[in-house]
Amino acid sequence: MTEIIVVTSGKGGVGKTTTAASIGCGLARRGKRVAVIDFDIGLRNLDLIMGCERRVVYDFVNVIHGECTLKQALIRDKRLESLYVLAASQTRDKDALTPEGVQRILEELAADGFDFILCDSPAGIEKGAHLAMYFADRAIVVVNPEVSSVRDSDRILGLLASKTRRAENGNGGVREHLLLTRYSPRRVATGEMMSVGDVKEILGLEVVGVIPESNEVLTASNAGTPVILNEESVVSLAYQDAVARLLGDTVPLRFIEEPKKGFLARLFGG
Amino acid sequence: MSRAAEASELAALEIRFGPLDLAQVRVRTVDPGALVDELTGRVATAPRFFERVAVGLDLSLLEREPDPLEVRAVADAVRRAGMLPVGLVSGPAFIEALARALDLPVLAPFRLPARPPPVLQPVPALAAQDGDSVALVHHQPVRSGQRLYARHRDLVVTAGVGAGAEVMADGCVHVYGALRGRAMAGTHGATTARIFCQEFHAELVSVAGVFRVFESLPQELCGHPVQAWLEGEDLRLARIG
Repeated sequence: MTEIIVVTSGKGGVGKTTTAASIGCGLARRGKRVAVIDFDIGLRNLDLIMGCERRVVYDFVNVIHGECTLKQALIRDKRLESLYVLAASQTRDKDALTPEGVQRILEELAADGFDFILCDSPAGIEKGAHLAMYFADRAIVVVNPEVSSVRDSDRILGLLASKTRRAENGNGGVREHLLLTRYSPRRVATGEMMSVGDVKEILGLEVVGVIPESNEVLTASNAGTPVILNEESVVSLAYQDAVARLLGDTVPLRFIEEPKKGFLARLFGG
Repeated sequence: MSRAAEASELAALEIRFGPLDLAQVRVRTVDPGALVDELTGRVATAPRFFERVAVGLDLSLLEREPDPLEVRAVADAVRRAGMLPVGLVSGPAFIEALARALDLPVLAPFRLPARPPPVLQPVPALAAQDGDSVALVHHQPVRSGQRLYARHRDLVVTAGVGAGAEVMADGCVHVYGALRGRAMAGTHGATTARIFCQEFHAELVSVAGVFRVFESLPQELCGHPVQAWLEGEDLRLARIG
């Protein structure tokens, strides 16, 4: 059974692509066959974050237009052999996507035996975002702990509940997961940032992961290595937890409280 | 059918229960002289009002238990003043025995037999005949950008209403969750429509077109169960419970 997961948010810059790349890697590391599709036609980024930008020959739009086969366009990850990327086109715009074309590609991937198809949605609620979510079985809604992001996520959750194939067919709707990114326990403690509890309460959803704010995310993006592969980083551990929860494991949330200073550190004012 | 025939079909008498007003003479002494003086003075102020009026004798203020002869003297004094004593008002334990000795009834406050507690009947399934009259019930959260409208009826939302969402009804709006968006009741002018919510954080509430925007939330309402209604031209809001 292939599961289609859309990574979406409404608002831009909250960490959709970072999340899609890391969750894709995480699922592949757990032995799943994964395809990550960049739906942000015209502003492609996923290939950069995944470090495969120089290997893009054919893209999503080429496949939809029948200019190449799906196999030719799928880029296999160099680090994880069950992970594939389908890049967006940089030279086209969102109108190049058609519902029939998207559906055909998703069905082809399912027939090919992929366990998960991750759809990296563009920001906004226009055609690209709509098509990214339309065929989804599950949704990871990426949200930053601040009011505008929460508001946009609420909007996206409304669309997931009404403008998707599952909602239209009435077969249970899309399973929704909340993923908080750029979370700073220190700023939550001082009241500058919304807490996990606040966001959960406003959106009425359980969180599948809380990713702490960290410079390692930017470093990893620049290096073209999904941050989950940086084993030393707490961000990696947080994404690994999120992957485990997506696969049905029960893992307690961590990195949501400010680390307590150790006894010696306190003693010496460290 | 003649009147006589009609009457003959009715029972010879009817027994009816129901409260009847009865004046009570509450005595502090059994001295007939003092009672007659006092009563005639009072009756003189409104003779027609007290004439042949039925009264109960209330003996509860007496310092000691009177004997039947004393009570009979009290009753005679009252009768002399123009009123008609019809019984003893129930009260202390000795009243019952006195009433028997004097062959007078005990007058107790009339009580209706205790009613069985009202049984909550399930709302009859009107839906089958008249779909419009049953509230529109929505169980999912109403998200930002979504609009929900209940035509000719109430709207019930069993989840939250997000900021930027709109819930509207021609009848009342009930939100069993947090109301962060906009709520409009009586959208076709029903001034008796109301808005109820479990947790008030609304951006706007409106009843029959009279609206209020909440740029900042009043401390006493924020986060509490609140209802909104129209009083004349004024939109009122208050905490529930």
